[in-house]
Amino acid sequence: MTMRPITFFRAGSIDEAVAAVSSHPDSAFLAGGTTEIDLLRLNVVQPTLLVDVNDLPLTYLEDVDDGGVRIGAMARMSDVARAPRIVERYPGMSQALLLGASEQLRNMASMGGNMCQRTRCSYFRDGQSPCNKREPGSGCSALTGINRGHAVLGTSEQCIATHPSDVAVALVALDAMIRTIGPDGTNAIPIERFFLRPADTPSIEHPLAHGELIVAIDVPALPVARTSRYVKHRDRASYEFALVSVFSAMRVDDAGNVAELRLALGGVGTVPWRAHRAEEALIGRPATPENFAAAADAEFADARTTPMNEFMVTFAKRAIVRELSEVTS
Amino acid sequence: MTITEVGSARRRKEDARLITGRTTWTENVTLPGMLHLAILRSPMAHARITSIDVSPALETKGVVAAFSGRDVADVQGALPCAWPVTADMVHPDRPPIAVDEVKFMGEAVAVVAARSRAAALDAIAAIEVDYEPLPAVLDMEAAIADGADLVHADKGTNKGYTWVFDSAEAGTGGDAAAALDGAEVVIKRRYVQQRLIPAFMEPRSVVVDPTGDAYSIWSATQIPHILRFLISVVTGTPEHKVRVIAPDVGGGFGGKLQVTPEELIAFVAAKRLGRPVKYTESRSESLVSAHHGRDVIQDLELAARRDGTVTGLRVKLLANMGAYMGLVGPGVPILGAFMYNAIYKFPAYRFECSGIFTNTTITDAYRGAGRPEATYAIERLMDELAAELGLDPMDVRRRNWIKAEEFPFTTVCGLQYDSGDYDKATDRAMELLGYDELRAEQQRRREAQDPVQLGIGISTYTEMCGLAPSRVLGSLRYGAGGWETASVRMLPTGKVEVVTGTSPHGQGHETAWSQIVADQLGVAFDDVEVLHGDTRTSYKGLDTYGSRSLAVGGIALYNACQKVLDKAKPIAAHMLECDPADLEFTGGQFRVRGNPDGGKSMADCALAVFAAHDLPDGIEPTLDADAVYDPVNFSFPHGTHLCATEVDTETGRVTIRKYVAVDDIGKVINPLIVEGQVHGGIAQGVAQALFEEAVYDADGNLMTGTLVDYTLPTAADLPSFVTDRTESPAPDHPLGTKGVGEAGTIASTPAVVNAIVDALRPMGVNDIAMPCTPERVWRAVQGGAA
Repeated sequence: MTMRPITFFRAGSIDEAVAAVSSHPDSAFLAGGTTEIDLLRLNVVQPTLLVDVNDLPLTYLEDVDDGGVRIGAMARMSDVARAPRIVERYPGMSQALLLGASEQLRNMASMGGNMCQRTRCSYFRDGQSPCNKREPGSGCSALTGINRGHAVLGTSEQCIATHPSDVAVALVALDAMIRTIGPDGTNAIPIERFFLRPADTPSIEHPLAHGELIVAIDVPALPVARTSRYVKHRDRASYEFALVSVFSAMRVDDAGNVAELRLALGGVGTVPWRAHRAEEALIGRPATPENFAAAADAEFADARTTPMNEFMVTFAKRAIVRELSEVTS
Repeated sequence: MTITEVGSARRRKEDARLITGRTTWTENVTLPGMLHLAILRSPMAHARITSIDVSPALETKGVVAAFSGRDVADVQGALPCAWPVTADMVHPDRPPIAVDEVKFMGEAVAVVAARSRAAALDAIAAIEVDYEPLPAVLDMEAAIADGADLVHADKGTNKGYTWVFDSAEAGTGGDAAAALDGAEVVIKRRYVQQRLIPAFMEPRSVVVDPTGDAYSIWSATQIPHILRFLISVVTGTPEHKVRVIAPDVGGGFGGKLQVTPEELIAFVAAKRLGRPVKYTESRSESLVSAHHGRDVIQDLELAARRDGTVTGLRVKLLANMGAYMGLVGPGVPILGAFMYNAIYKFPAYRFECSGIFTNTTITDAYRGAGRPEATYAIERLMDELAAELGLDPMDVRRRNWIKAEEFPFTTVCGLQYDSGDYDKATDRAMELLGYDELRAEQQRRREAQDPVQLGIGISTYTEMCGLAPSRVLGSLRYGAGGWETASVRMLPTGKVEVVTGTSPHGQGHETAWSQIVADQLGVAFDDVEVLHGDTRTSYKGLDTYGSRSLAVGGIALYNACQKVLDKAKPIAAHMLECDPADLEFTGGQFRVRGNPDGGKSMADCALAVFAAHDLPDGIEPTLDADAVYDPVNFSFPHGTHLCATEVDTETGRVTIRKYVAVDDIGKVINPLIVEGQVHGGIAQGVAQALFEEAVYDADGNLMTGTLVDYTLPTAADLPSFVTDRTESPAPDHPLGTKGVGEAGTIASTPAVVNAIVDALRPMGVNDIAMPCTPERVWRAVQGGAA
């Protein structure tokens, strides 16, 4: 653990917070602190100014016109997970929240912060190994290292770090919108454009400008989400990140065909992974295990594996098939 | 004597302060003028320190001193090893702070003392170190191949020792080689005991206060007495000038059975600076630098007849010592050597173990220490033998195990097992599990090709507890004895102070010891205070490890109580105006035999002694007594653990459906404490089977350096346990107790793995490496035979 002097500033308003961070090159927002403080201690990030946004009036949870929900960026994971409107309208999102981290962490962690959480890649977090995400151009230690838990989808030669969030998996399936306020004003970013794949710039994980603050997450109305589910497979039952997780919301019509489907995966991608190919393969087709398997195959057609994580592909496919089979049974 | 306390499920009197934390942990000790230490640790597994400059740290605010290994090379001494298992064991000096070379990731390279912990941590970042990388030795087999890179170049070898036991040579049994040559069936397997991290709850912490020419040392240790002796020897400080205090200590599991670099560093710093210092490790430091456990490759050959009778066993081990020899590390596999024959009547046995150096954190005692490895090996082999012969695995065990009427039984290792009834414990366990019903369900699921298969795992075990008869330890070249001590002091108001040489760190000695004293002396449970862990009050003792505290220390306590009774008897007789020979001690009172009225209690005697106005002639006015007990034998608890697992063949996920533990640990003082030990022990053993593994990458970086990566299970990962006991009292001492600290850990690992393999055996699976993660189980299902 390394300690270094740091300036702490408690922002009293959104404008103040944005101004403070955007005017200082080595600054960062501090929300729940459940990731940022760890990374500070591990010497992975070295901001010299932390701008605390916990006092900002962003803990709300409110309905929006069309039946959707707007979640303030500082709403705590535990509060959102148990909010009746979330439990009723998006049960899979509530489950994803409750399966993440631990109750203590969920009480601290904010929704906006969760969108910005960093990978658990050991090489990224050790503060010293070559890592293109932490130190661009230094190389990727995970490619040839211990990479059992690393991503098989959305990877590049520069980075195979897995995105760790659970709730973000639900949110990509739900087509959420990330609302921000930055030095250049307000912005709304569709969630799938918010999470950037590593490509050649693994250090850039989202399109936020320096000083641009997430203020809310909009989750649109989606009737089929009322039966949504989230299942998480992992190495231990609590306090553990996913090996594979599946968010699903599916409606099967009277003829037995898939009428609507939202499917997203955690633990396998460099970003929270919306399974578009699988969705397209299934919409309008009979909801049978054979078709689920074919859809899962399609989703992982371009998967890139290492000897240590190749199991993940079969594991994830079977998790998809089982999950969708259980939904239909 | 009426028995009221012993056997009752008293809630532990120490728990309120332990649970709330309102007590003295070492980290809570804050002394005037105290400095805080931070340690810079090696990021490399093996490297030469080409230059090191601590001066930038001295420029940092609040820093009082900074030094590297070179700065203290002449005064820091070397860490002790108390168990040189062979006369020619290679034992490289281990400096507390690396001087020229670092030999494992996390080794100390420099130390800063500052006015605050934060300032000290700031300053170590300023220290400049240049390393020249050297090849990291990680794989044990590669380490002993010709031309291997060396951990200690000056020693010319990575092999620290080879220790052999052969029953033919020892005259305790036949020739294992001959048995294997002529065997009808030979089962040959390699099992790997993965490296584990003890992960005790309270990180290690040490405070050293130099006052005058004496040193007070607070440490979160299991072994204050051994630490005092060894600090004295290693640093050349007169023993009577060293006081060690283990205040409340938050867990150990063997992980605090060590003299640590950090303790010596704190001692050297305090001596150098003339001020009290404190060092408390972070969790990350703890995981990388506190000693690890297990890490053994086992090559096993079992000879048997086709009817399932075992005729011989040959065991060859490679035991990873890490970069140096730990305090008792070399002896850990040797403790296991006597347990491979387990509960069975094997006629021939050979054991050979080599301790290997690698560029990793040292390994040393971890709950069970050698015995879990042995039990795992033999219990897996017995299942493999049964499968090979098409017999029921329980029937194969029954055919080979020692029968109740055969105790005491001298084993092929020459140990004399004291008592037991394996049939009784097993029958009870099978009844509680519903063994036959589950076998029937297993058959149904196999026929239906259910994707979720059922497996039943058996683990019958014994272990040697009550470490240890001093003569035996001497014959094994251990550097100390195995006795234990207790003092009982009657206070004038009838309250009792007990001083024990054991050193509890979560076990509940204060409660159990109070129960013993309450019954023996006829005093109230709450009127007993148990003092421990401070060498000023408890000046003698051999501390707590190896399920020894009750089985040895408890007997010392019992004997001390008898001495107090013997001293009180003539005083009571004097007060009752009778002959001592006419007195009996019942219901907490000395009474004239046959006369239920007008007795004298221990409190009456204590007050009479305090006043000393009217004592019989020649009576020394004291009721205090000391006793030291050196056991005549180990104690041998045993039991049968059965585990039913559901194994999802599609995802590899293992779910424990039912777990039954029937343990025979002799007489029980407090069933609640026993229950806690069994639950915790099973959890730790299941953790080895399913969850935990310390992983190094090819460069020797510890990849499981946080509790996120090192998957210590939580309560949510474990089922409810069904527990019961049978009772075969220890015959060698009056309490009849045997020890329970390690039983659950020893028994549960093979029970779980046997259950998983049992579930998958029709698919051609006969082994899965631990931990049996879903991935490994899934791979085994894909690949068939491992």
